[in-house]
Amino acid sequence: MMLSDEPYRWAEAVANRREYIEDQIRQGSPVVGVGYEDGILLLTLSQSQQKVFEVYDCIGLAAIGHSTDIEKLRQAAIDMAHSIGFNYSEDDVTLRQIVYFGLGPAMKAGFDDVVRSPFLARVLLAELDGQEGAQIFYTVDYDGAFYRHEGCVAVGGVVEADVMMVRELSGLDTRALSLSDAADAALRAWAIGRWIGKMDEVPTDADELEQVAGEVDVADVLVTASKDMEVEAVALGRSQLGKNKYRNVDAEEIAPVLAQFTL
Amino acid sequence: MQSGGDFVDLLRQTGYRFPGENLGDVQAERDLPFEPTDATTILAFQYADGVLVAGDRRATAGNMVLYDRADKVIDLDAYSVMAISGSPSIAFEIARILEHAFQYYRRRLLQEMSLQAKLRRLSLLIKDNLPMAMQGIGAVIPIFATYDQADARGKIYFYDALGAQFESADFTTTGSGSPAIRGAMYYLNRWSGRRFVEMDRDAAIGHALQLLDTASEYDSATGRYERSADIFPSVKTITASGLAEVETEELRQLYVQYVDGEEAGRA
Repeated sequence: MMLSDEPYRWAEAVANRREYIEDQIRQGSPVVGVGYEDGILLLTLSQSQQKVFEVYDCIGLAAIGHSTDIEKLRQAAIDMAHSIGFNYSEDDVTLRQIVYFGLGPAMKAGFDDVVRSPFLARVLLAELDGQEGAQIFYTVDYDGAFYRHEGCVAVGGVVEADVMMVRELSGLDTRALSLSDAADAALRAWAIGRWIGKMDEVPTDADELEQVAGEVDVADVLVTASKDMEVEAVALGRSQLGKNKYRNVDAEEIAPVLAQFTL
Repeated sequence: MQSGGDFVDLLRQTGYRFPGENLGDVQAERDLPFEPTDATTILAFQYADGVLVAGDRRATAGNMVLYDRADKVIDLDAYSVMAISGSPSIAFEIARILEHAFQYYRRRLLQEMSLQAKLRRLSLLIKDNLPMAMQGIGAVIPIFATYDQADARGKIYFYDALGAQFESADFTTTGSGSPAIRGAMYYLNRWSGRRFVEMDRDAAIGHALQLLDTASEYDSATGRYERSADIFPSVKTITASGLAEVETEELRQLYVQYVDGEEAGRA
């Protein structure tokens, strides 16, 4: 008998699957995207593997989850972008297409196929100066659900971490921030997301969650993390010469910002 | 296991076919129902800071001037250009494939494509174009120029119509106007008292303008500075800091100085 013939068993199987995926992802290192005067900053801390990637001239991708699953999604996004870019034009490559017709359906299909391992990943994508705006982000969850954001966004191990990280970033004038101020805000948000992801029991009550987030010792979290992790930062900067706006931000540019917390 | 960094593989998976793949029997050029378009004179040489690549702006079809604003020096990435003579249609397609292939490789495999691999990719694309070249309508004979950061010097490569690749030590030129200036380039480099590689940027650009003007004197398919529309040849430099196009105003000044003005004709 098929699982779908029994609604209760089907719902239970889906719930189990969610629980399994969330359990696998929750301890991961969050990824943060925040706009600044020249474009978009993507920032995370990682142990050794790369977590932020170039997809196309003005599109970057960062993710939390299983590195091989992230790799499959990254490659799918790159294939789609280059295929469109060549067959149509560079201007026709939009983040919206990649999410709506590429990553979203792929992750949904992976989640629905109960005989296969789902994508253990939550993805953040950023697009500089696209058709939808100057600082556009999409997040794609492990079940294929996607959301559009403007100005800033963050993806952590649990949804509660996302909400509290974005709360930390909200209120910033993302079109006027300097790169180092954006990095400062992103590091603060990352610390909050990291702390919540590591909690044994994440509060479900909104007030309680806000209180926890407000009490996170950002410096302490960053000092602990810096022992075995390094900041990985990428900028999509419009002042970058040429068509390709993606660049790795040098460690020296971020070091003084991190030092404010860790020294 | 497939690494997945090959852009041509991706193109084929999405149904792309090279223009020559489905051509039937080879026919003589004189039987063609149209005059194929040709891009004409390009040249490249080593100068003090790196490599200079230049081309006239004319595209012809038989004895017709088809276009006087063609840009035959095409950027491939921040350090490489492909200059084209022969069929612009196929050459632009090859350049477009290469531009995407280099970027795709870097993004997909998280590393830059090596210079040797870039040369090989171009060579393979020229080979793939053999049926078109045999038809007499689509031969592409490019110059590939780049700055090799590992060797800290500019490098120039030229190809034959079958895709064989040769590195040029000092200079090269291809296209219909090239016979008119090949000897002049040799002469300048050997006996003018200053080799190309000793020239500073201004002198290098000035001599490139002189050489293209010379080509246009003897080859009707090569365009010269177009006074009525104010169109200069395209000139690009590749140095340790990357690829740069020489702006019109600078070309104008150097044109006056080296071609039209008081220093015109001076070696």
